[in-house]
Amino acid sequence: MSQAVATGDLAPSPAARPRRRFRVRAAPTLGVLILALLLVCAIVPQWVAPYAPLKFDYRATLRPPSAAHWFGTDNFGRDLLSRVIWATRIDMQIALFSTLFPVVFGTFVGCLIGYFGGIADVLFRRLVDLVITVPFLVLVIAIVAVLGPGLTNMYIAVSSVGWIFYARLIRAEILTQKRRDYAAAGRVMGYGWPRIVFRHLLPNAITPVLTYWMTDMALAILLGSSLGYLGLGAQPPTAEWGVLIADGKNFMSTAWWMSIFPGIAIVLAGVGFSLLGDAVASLFRRR
Amino acid sequence: MSALLSVQDLAIRIGAATPVDGVSFDVSEAEMLGIVGESGSGKSLTLRAILKLLPRQAAVSGRIEWAGKNLVGQSEGAIRKLRGRQIAMVFQEPMTALDPVLTIGLQITESLREHLGLRGQAADRRAVELLDLVGIPDARRRLQNYPHEFSGGMRQRVMIAIALAGEPKLLLADEPTTALDVTIQDQILKLLLRLRDELHMSVILVTHDLGIVAGTCERVAVLYAGRIMETGPVYDIFRKPAHAYTLGLMRSVPEQLQARQPLRSIPGAPPDPGRMPPGCRFAPRCSLAVTECAVPPPLVSVGDGHRSACIRADAVRVASQVPA
Repeated sequence: MSQAVATGDLAPSPAARPRRRFRVRAAPTLGVLILALLLVCAIVPQWVAPYAPLKFDYRATLRPPSAAHWFGTDNFGRDLLSRVIWATRIDMQIALFSTLFPVVFGTFVGCLIGYFGGIADVLFRRLVDLVITVPFLVLVIAIVAVLGPGLTNMYIAVSSVGWIFYARLIRAEILTQKRRDYAAAGRVMGYGWPRIVFRHLLPNAITPVLTYWMTDMALAILLGSSLGYLGLGAQPPTAEWGVLIADGKNFMSTAWWMSIFPGIAIVLAGVGFSLLGDAVASLFRRR
Repeated sequence: MSALLSVQDLAIRIGAATPVDGVSFDVSEAEMLGIVGESGSGKSLTLRAILKLLPRQAAVSGRIEWAGKNLVGQSEGAIRKLRGRQIAMVFQEPMTALDPVLTIGLQITESLREHLGLRGQAADRRAVELLDLVGIPDARRRLQNYPHEFSGGMRQRVMIAIALAGEPKLLLADEPTTALDVTIQDQILKLLLRLRDELHMSVILVTHDLGIVAGTCERVAVLYAGRIMETGPVYDIFRKPAHAYTLGLMRSVPEQLQARQPLRSIPGAPPDPGRMPPGCRFAPRCSLAVTECAVPPPLVSVGDGHRSACIRADAVRVASQVPA
């Protein structure tokens, strides 16, 4: 990072700089635009979608993309564009609800473990070792399989494991921050540990968590879609991108649009969150 | 005059090492005491021991008397009540001792709320007063600024303002000017002197710089390898040093009047805290050492309030009269 800045400052050609600056700014803007589009679809799908997502039309099944049906129709004659748009609501919910608890709880626990250390830290590190040896998806599938399929159980499964990653991140960051002088200065000032940890250390340590959160929301959508595809997440006839792809897999050779368009929506959401994550990271790095 | 803080026979043990061993000193009201020593002499550890800021593995023994109570062995909670409110501390690095993500206004009012219960407008007004007091111009506007918007000297002033927020009776200053350039050093020291006079506050100034002590403190304790070598009024110690180490320190300061003279540093290096010499800890580096120096020398009076742990004090006196 510092190297990049140094070469940027030394760049002899003045023309090189504006282009760099443009590139740096274009990516976050694109990310924000993509997410804004998805948010509109999620909040007011009834305004954006041309048809009702569950309305059957047996006179128009498996139609390819056309002016009337931009994304085509499925085997029940439902408009795919409308279904993809309504699915945004579910997938944004998945992005938020399966990360919200991990972010809050993981950050809280990570702060305490990082600050106090001791036996809790030893136990936590063993727990981390345990969790990262088992692939996350397998672990979640196992938990969902026990609890039963459905979105709520998926949130429970993801949350019960996901907080560990956030706690790990913030713990490492608190460990470095608590050795800084301002932490000692807080103690010298007679402040209690809650104030030192949550008012002084946490704001200085939160950046990696925010960045990871953005990426994690993209991963959560992928996970939600994967589980939806496997029949463990959102249940039909609810429109969810993973479910839509699964619906289309039997028609892949005759109606490619049924799986391709929800797939593109997933990619778009992933790219949007990743770009926003980069933007958040660079925003804090400049401070 | 009764002592505000009285440290007696303070020892700090970390594992097998004893980096501070048998240190005693007093601080009176509105007095500025200097503690001088090289890096590793235990001066910062001593300071931190007063506020119980040492890592858990450090074992502290001896007495630290504050307001008639021995602070050694007190609970964290009891010491916390003293921190900031009665005894405050300023660090060496003003660049890192302020929280980078909060405005300095928030950091000062936080201390005011914690210690004096001041909130809102009253806290803001007091914060402006404090910044005025430590000599930050345009204080009201500066409250909105973040630490990175201040220079090193200004940050140290802010640190001092935060430390003063709790109206402490004693300020511990751990090399407060070491990270600053010389002209700023002078300003900060003058500020500390002014605050001591105006607020009737005692200051312990820890430094490695004899010149700073000479210009600011009434009394000084010279620390070497965790022991007090010599202590007394600044004037006496500079005029009539009674310890070979003090003399060596004074000789190693470059003098303006004798430009282009080779510096006379003390040969050798301070001992490893795990393997201290059996007798006088300075003896292995001392040019005046005799065989009797292998027995630990007691700290004995050599004048009014002037004490030295050197059996060769007379020889030092003679040597100090010979121009360097």
